[in-house]
Amino acid sequence: MPSEPPPLPEPSREPTPPVITPPPIPAAAPASRTPARRLHPLTLLFTFITIIRGYLIPALIVLVVGSSRNNNTTAYILLFFLVITLFQSLVRYFTLTYRIESGELVTRDGLIQRTERNIPLTRVQDVRIEQSVLQRIFNVVEVQVETAGGTGAEASFSVLARDEAERLRAEILAAAKPGQAEAAASAAGPGALPADETVRQLSVKELVLAGLASNQTASTMALVAVAWGFADDVFPNLHDKLMRRVEETMLRLNEQGMEATWPVYVFGALAILAASIVISIIGSIVLFYGFTLTRKGEDLQRVYGLFTRRASSLPRKRIQVLKIEETIMRRLFRLATLYADTAGSQLAEQKSAQEGRNVLLPVVLRAEVDGLLPVFFPHLDPAPAEWKQVSRVAIRRGTLKGGFACVLLAGALLLVQGWAGLWPLALIPVVYVVNVMNFRHLGYALGEHYLRTRRGWLRRATHIVPIRNIQAVALHQTPFDRRHRVVTLVVDTAGQTYTGGAPAIGNVPIDEARKLAAELTRRAAQMKYRWQ
Amino acid sequence: MEETEPTPVETVVPPVASAVVEFVSLDPAVVGLWRLTSLIASGFILLPSLAFVLFVGFAARPLMGWLLAAWFGLAAVRLCMLVWYPKKAFAAWGYRIDEKVLEARSGVWFKVTQLLPLSRLQHVDLHRGPLERYFGLASLVLHTAGTQQAAIVIPGLKAEAAERLRDQLVAAGGDDAV
Repeated sequence: MPSEPPPLPEPSREPTPPVITPPPIPAAAPASRTPARRLHPLTLLFTFITIIRGYLIPALIVLVVGSSRNNNTTAYILLFFLVITLFQSLVRYFTLTYRIESGELVTRDGLIQRTERNIPLTRVQDVRIEQSVLQRIFNVVEVQVETAGGTGAEASFSVLARDEAERLRAEILAAAKPGQAEAAASAAGPGALPADETVRQLSVKELVLAGLASNQTASTMALVAVAWGFADDVFPNLHDKLMRRVEETMLRLNEQGMEATWPVYVFGALAILAASIVISIIGSIVLFYGFTLTRKGEDLQRVYGLFTRRASSLPRKRIQVLKIEETIMRRLFRLATLYADTAGSQLAEQKSAQEGRNVLLPVVLRAEVDGLLPVFFPHLDPAPAEWKQVSRVAIRRGTLKGGFACVLLAGALLLVQGWAGLWPLALIPVVYVVNVMNFRHLGYALGEHYLRTRRGWLRRATHIVPIRNIQAVALHQTPFDRRHRVVTLVVDTAGQTYTGGAPAIGNVPIDEARKLAAELTRRAAQMKYRWQ
Repeated sequence: MEETEPTPVETVVPPVASAVVEFVSLDPAVVGLWRLTSLIASGFILLPSLAFVLFVGFAARPLMGWLLAAWFGLAAVRLCMLVWYPKKAFAAWGYRIDEKVLEARSGVWFKVTQLLPLSRLQHVDLHRGPLERYFGLASLVLHTAGTQQAAIVIPGLKAEAAERLRDQLVAAGGDDAV
């Protein structure tokens, strides 16, 4: 290979420069050139459908408005744009070729303005395959190749035959890791894993649980509760009135059937709650139906979806941070969700969540997680028996802060509601207890290759950061911190889209934090040196 | 391409208990630069606000005293920022390169220490604005692949020193990646 890609530090956030070169001179093409490959002919059909779908609503508007005004100009303008779009996609279909050669994925397209893009395979972070219901009928798929940095995919092929897509993915992933066989061989030592394994499959029952224990359910409940409280403020003695009203209405209902008012609201609220739970369960099943996480060599592959099937693969070495999240709802069911960040795509969070891309494993029993972790992190140190805690001033400071908020609220309510408004003061002991419990569950553990942190009592989050992926460490000290001789330690990593990155650990005694920061950065610097 | 077996690093490279490298200060000329920028900023803040105070003050005479007092308060703060703060900021600033880790500290009230493994350095910018050039200074912007500390800025370096430091950093980072 004449030009080795420059050995940049591994998790590069700089958009891997997709080299755009001028159109190649045909004569210079080497004889050993791999044959160029093209999109599947059905691309035309699917592009056509997409375009028509996009133009459907404008067309309808034009039809409705146009017919009443008897003016066809807008229709012609619309038609004009439709034709241009169609023409563009035709050009794309007929000119787009791709090939894999000397460790690069080379795509080329364009008629007048030609673009050639070279993506070094070692820089590929993810190869995703998506298949909608319609595409499933024709056995074709969409493929997206992502590298670090930038938003969205670096190369996208819509559509390819399914076999071709699988082949392309296998080729890219195989070429991305020349040392894979070697790695598999050396992994035969401690913590030997079979070459390929199904890590976890999710049953419908588990998906139902996931939907049930989702934040959506919690937030709907909160909404109903707040609405209830609000109603209570607006209509004092709501409860008494309500009960009387319910009695009356029940009586009246018996007489005349449909004149109920209050029960309707109550049942309405319950119905909303039930509906939201059902929707959340259905959403969970539709998105993650048949979820399977497998490990193929160094790759973690996820396949899921009821209607649109999605498959993505993630080299496990590219995991920058892993987060084990247990929300309050999840904790009730002893469940957890795993999130992982790569240095790759930085799509809008909402879209990622809609496509289920942000999660590594949408739902799993918390007790199972520790057993699964070695699959993601091959040389993970065993779970620490003891977490290193931060300074105890955390409790006092947290309580003071929360207590102060309570006092402020009580003061404000005192003016409005009289003595009854002092109730927030009763929360201060609760604030204290929460802070003590939070303190007990806040901590970090420095292993040989990984840093773990955990926080939260009711709602928990555990982060695992491979030390070799640490980009920088910062210590922040506010004037208040200075009085307590503590700092906040922040570990910076390349990907923080889905996990929130490595969390900041507050209230760490300054000398300890300095030592930890120095240790982490020193090791990070050396690991690169050893590992390249 | 990447690691095959993450051998425990410690056994290979014993932690060097080398003499602790002292923090290096910025070039003292940076105090002048900061004072000049602070002066310019003060001009942009104080003059329009004085115009506003006088305008409102003459329109509503009883307010004049209060407004002027507030303006003088603001002016006092700006004076403080002009005279006292740059010195403190200069004293707080320091950086050192120790065992392939760059450490930069700064901050008068809110103190920050940033540690950067040099092998994580993506690229280094040498920045020289017109005012910096006037003072013969330059800033280095160190880019990592990180998210929050994606760029660490070391201001107020002598131009030649900045270039030397840049070459040193790039070399140290480059060494590692080979």
